Order: sequence, then structure tokens, then C-alpha cells
Amino acid sequence: MDRRFIPTGVARCSTSRFLMWLALWAALLAFGLYSAGLCLVEGLNQTHMNNRFAFGLWIFLDLTVIALGAGAFFTGFLLYILKRKELRGVINSAVVIGLMCYGGAMAVLGVDVGQPLRAWFTFWYPNVHSMLTEVTFCISCYLTVLLIEYLPIVLKNRKLRQVPHFLVFEHELHNLVYVFAGVGTFLSFFHQGSLGGLYGVLRGRPFAFREELGIWPTTFFLFILSAAAVGPSFILLTTWLVQKLARKPLVRPAVFESLGRISGLLLAAYVLLKTVDTIVWLRRTTPRSGFLPAQYYAWKPFGIWLLFVEIALFLVPMAILLIPKLRARTAWLVPAAAMACCGVALNRFVLTIQTLALPTLSFDRFVYYLPSWQETGTFLAVVAAGVLVYSISFRYFVLFPEEREL
Amino acid sequence: MLPWNYGLHWTLGTMVFLGAFYTVLVVVATTLVSAVVRSRRSLRAGGADGLRWRSDFHDLAARDRACRHQLTGELECRECPNGFDCRQCDTHRAILEQRPAPEPGARSVEDFGMTFPLDRLYHRGHTWVRRERNGTVTVGLDDLGRVLVGKPDSVDLPRKGHRLRLHATAWRMRKGRAGLSVVSPVAGIVVETGGPDQPWYLKVRPEQADLRHLLEGIEVRPWLAREMERLQRALMAAGAAPQPVDGQATLASLAASCPEECREAVCGAMFLRP
Repeated sequence: MDRRFIPTGVARCSTSRFLMWLALWAALLAFGLYSAGLCLVEGLNQTHMNNRFAFGLWIFLDLTVIALGAGAFFTGFLLYILKRKELRGVINSAVVIGLMCYGGAMAVLGVDVGQPLRAWFTFWYPNVHSMLTEVTFCISCYLTVLLIEYLPIVLKNRKLRQVPHFLVFEHELHNLVYVFAGVGTFLSFFHQGSLGGLYGVLRGRPFAFREELGIWPTTFFLFILSAAAVGPSFILLTTWLVQKLARKPLVRPAVFESLGRISGLLLAAYVLLKTVDTIVWLRRTTPRSGFLPAQYYAWKPFGIWLLFVEIALFLVPMAILLIPKLRARTAWLVPAAAMACCGVALNRFVLTIQTLALPTLSFDRFVYYLPSWQETGTFLAVVAAGVLVYSISFRYFVLFPEEREL
Repeated sequence: MLPWNYGLHWTLGTMVFLGAFYTVLVVVATTLVSAVVRSRRSLRAGGADGLRWRSDFHDLAARDRACRHQLTGELECRECPNGFDCRQCDTHRAILEQRPAPEPGARSVEDFGMTFPLDRLYHRGHTWVRRERNGTVTVGLDDLGRVLVGKPDSVDLPRKGHRLRLHATAWRMRKGRAGLSVVSPVAGIVVETGGPDQPWYLKVRPEQADLRHLLEGIEVRPWLAREMERLQRALMAAGAAPQPVDGQATLASLAASCPEECREAVCGAMFLRP
């Protein structure tokens, strides 16, 4: 039925099978939209957040998907600015993943902040003393850039490109894509940093507070580096997953190898800086705040094991991705990429949830937080929307230009 | 953010941040407007056809962009850098100078159940061109194209006097639900139109007598063998059962295996107009 919209030279499943797949995720999306609607209409009393736990599942999700979505800007940077031509095979997929991640993050932020009719206040009357202002501005700008980058992918659809206006506009936009890649890199660097800086400046939360380098806390730089390191791993992981679902190769093995190597090198740099940062934090920053490092890990379930798991989730994939023999084998490469992604998710979880759960004053207590079903539903809506957008894009647009040749 | 915002103090940090933010906005907006302006200019200059060909050619798999001299074995491996327009190609000129004069003999190539007369030149989008004594050229669909399409339900031919551009759409056909476009093998003015009931589709007064971009003589047979492989791949991508590409497989049997709903995709791929 929809064959004429599918790119030539590629095989896709039947329309009925595709619709069944979509229906599954659409049902989840509907449930999520209902949950989000409840939060918007009834207010944040639908969640388990409170004045103490102002950040919950949603902010954790935002930080994680934005870090994972960094693959979009970093792949664009490597391809268009540093001319790593082999990444041409995954750039379209990276743009769609970036769009899903950033679009999802913006949507969840919208529910979290509430009052959608006053959303424009953020831009018109921003709090110039807040790091969130930098985050809001950069994310909205970058989402716009991603939408512009996504446009040529859509306009290149077999039927749409038969319209001369679309064909020419797509061509001209594609010719200027390096400008958007440069702007995207600039914006993404800044807001990844701002998100990290957001925690690093929490002087009242010694678990998150970090020393400054220039005008920014160290978390500013660590967030940039970890996102740049994990972004290519996430692109690698999703490409492999789509290959498995589509049951056919979509990119050349060299692309996986290249993504793995880049991720490994950046993970090494991150591990090095994170080690220095952790030592300074334990030996200098924490004692100055009147705490013993052991106090941070005295509360169950956030024991010291969490710190070791986080270290392992960065160290092990780094080692695998840096060894060419291991990197060359999918059985090592893919789990390593998955571990790196889990590592960054755990890092964001620790900074969001553990930071807020820990007591900071003598009369304070450890606070437990479990998300409500409405929060979880909204979270699932982002996942479902992402899968839907990606599935439709994969079917009707050319996400992997090398697919036809493999 | 804005000068009227409560609490705004013009510090160095504020100026750097606002400067960077507004620069980003200006760059994004300017680039977008620039793309729109360039598109309008390109459309007015009639550049859509040229762009379409360049884009289609660029999107071809690397093996399908193989140089004609790779097909004949004169070169080991070479991708065409000229969008199948060999008239300005130095490599093509050099190879033609060294190529021995064709021996008189076969008048046509007969392979896979198709006949390709050698008094014609062939475009890689499956059209043929024959020079006429009066200076015009006759354009038709080659055997592979004819068998693949069958008898079209309708044909949309250009009017007499229409100016054809090289590699733009020469004419359109409809077969069932499939809409098909045929790439023009020459540039020139249409002087007469034929159709599916005649052995040719167009008579054209060419703008240039130079037709070196078209395949001829010894190039036809290896090109045809390569096209049969390409057809196999297009059919497999469309979901047809694979068939061996050898003397046993005729074009008719391959074309018959093409699912009806995939005709547009398969013909589009073969006619270089996906």
C-alpha cells in the first residue's frame, strides 16, 4: 500500500506488519500522553516530587537522553567539520536520534515546568542568574537546528522530491548543512556543560558541589566530555539494534569500528579527568564542606557499590573500545557501547537522585523517592514517541545511505 | 536576556552570553533565508532537472556508477565522476584514441532474450538514440525497458518544439498504479512524437552533434550483463524471488517475477530515475 513512499533499492516489512508495530508503540504513547495530561491539568501533585525532591525521574531522563543524543552533534562535527567521511553512513540516523532525544527532553521539561501557555515567559523574562536559562536557550536553539537538519532527510523522500521546490530546497539546505553542524556543536557543547554546571554550583549539596575551573565548576567540562564520549556509542548501539530488527546490514563494519574507536578515546580522556575530579572532590572539596566521603555512601540503597559500578561502567568499555582486536568483534563492541551508555545514565542518576536524597543538615533525614505512575507514564511517552519517529523515518526516508550497497 | 528584563545588569558575562546567543540566532536565520533565496534562484533558472540528475546519480550505489570502460574491462576499477556525461572526460577521450577500429560483423547484440541493434547508441537509463540523415535523432526505449514496462496504459510525451535537457525527464508513462519517468539521452528540440505503438518515442533536433556520452558497439554486451545483475538486485530489494543470472535467465522471466506493486521502484531504479 505504501510501497511508493519507500526508498528504492531497500526492502522493508509489509504494511500490515509495520502498522502492528506502530500500534504497539502508539498505545504506549496514548497512555503516556494521558499521564502527561493529568500532570499538566491537575498539577505536580500527580507526581511524587516535592519541595525537597524537586528533580525526579523526568530530570534524570532529560539528562540521560541529552547525553545519549549528543551523538547527533558529535557525529555532525566529525563528519562536516573534521571530515571523517566514513560517518556519512550514520549521519542521518544520528540526526533522527538527536531529534528524538532533544524533542523528548523538551516535551518532558514542558510537563515538568507546567503552565504551557506561559512557556514563552522563559524566553521573554528569563532569570539571568540561572544556569537553567542557558540550558533552556541552548536546548531550544539546538532543537530548532536539529529540525532544520531533519528537513532535508524528509524532503529527500521518493515522492516529496518529485516536487521541484522541495528537491531544490533540500539540495540548497544540504549544501549549507556544515553551518548547522557548526552551530549545533557550539550549542550542544554549551548546554551539555550548563547541565553539568547546574549540579556543580549546588553549594548546599556537597555531594554534587565541585571546585571551579574558570567560571565553571568541573562538572561543566565532565558533562561535555562524557556526552561526546557516549554519543558515538549510542549511535553504534542503535544502528546495531536496527540492523538486528531489520535483519540486514545497514552500514559497513568500518563505521562501527570508527565509532567504537572515537568513543574509546574520548572515554579514556573522560576517565582520566573524572579520576582527578573525584580525588579532588574526596580529598579537598568534601572535607571543606564538613563532610566525610563515607557519609555519602552510608545510606542504603546508595552504598559505595554504586560508585564502583559507575567506575566499572566507564573503565571496562573504555578498555574494550581501545583494544583493536576486541573492538573488531561485535560480541565485545556492542556490549561495550551498551555499558558506556548505562554508565552515563548511572552518572546522571547519581547526580540527580542521590544528590537530593542525601541529608545535608544535622536535623535532615534521608529521603526516599519513587516516581508515580503518572511520572513513569510520561517517561514512557517519550520512549514511545522516539520509537515511532525513528520507525517512520527508517521506513520512508534514507537513514542509512549505504544500505542499498550492502 | 532582554534590556527590559527585571534584574538585568550589563556585565561582561551577560554581554558574552547574549552576544553568543544572538549570533547563533542570526547565523541560523541567515543560513535558512540564504537556502530559500538560492532555491528560488535555482528554480527560476530551471536548475531543478540538473539537480535531480546530480542527486539521483549521487544516490546510486558506487558499483552502479561504474565507468563504461570498467564495464568493457579497459579499466580495472573506476567510478564515473561526470554523471555519465563523457563528453568532457579526458580518460574517455584517451581510451577511445587507443581503441582499435571496430571490425564489421555483428549488427546486433542478442542476449538474455533481448536484441540491441548496433546501429544505435544507448543511454544507461535504457533509451536508444539513432542518428538520422536529416540531422535529427530518433529516441526510443531499449528492449530491456520495453519488456520491463510492457505496454504502458498512458504516455505523456512532450509537445513539438519542447526543449529537452540532457538527463532531464524525456517523457512519462503510467502502467497500472506505477508512474514512470524516462531520462532524456540527448538535449535538443522535439520535432516529432511517436509512442508505444511505434518503435520510437521522440524525434529530436539535437543541440550538439557530439553524442560520445552514449554507449556503442563493444560496450553494449558487457553493459547489458551488468544491467541484468542490477535488475536482479532491484527485484530482490522489491521482494521478488532471486533467479540465477546466466544464459538461462531471460529478461522476460525476470520481469514476470516483479510484484505489481514494486514495478515503479524496479523500473525507477533501472531507468535511473528512482
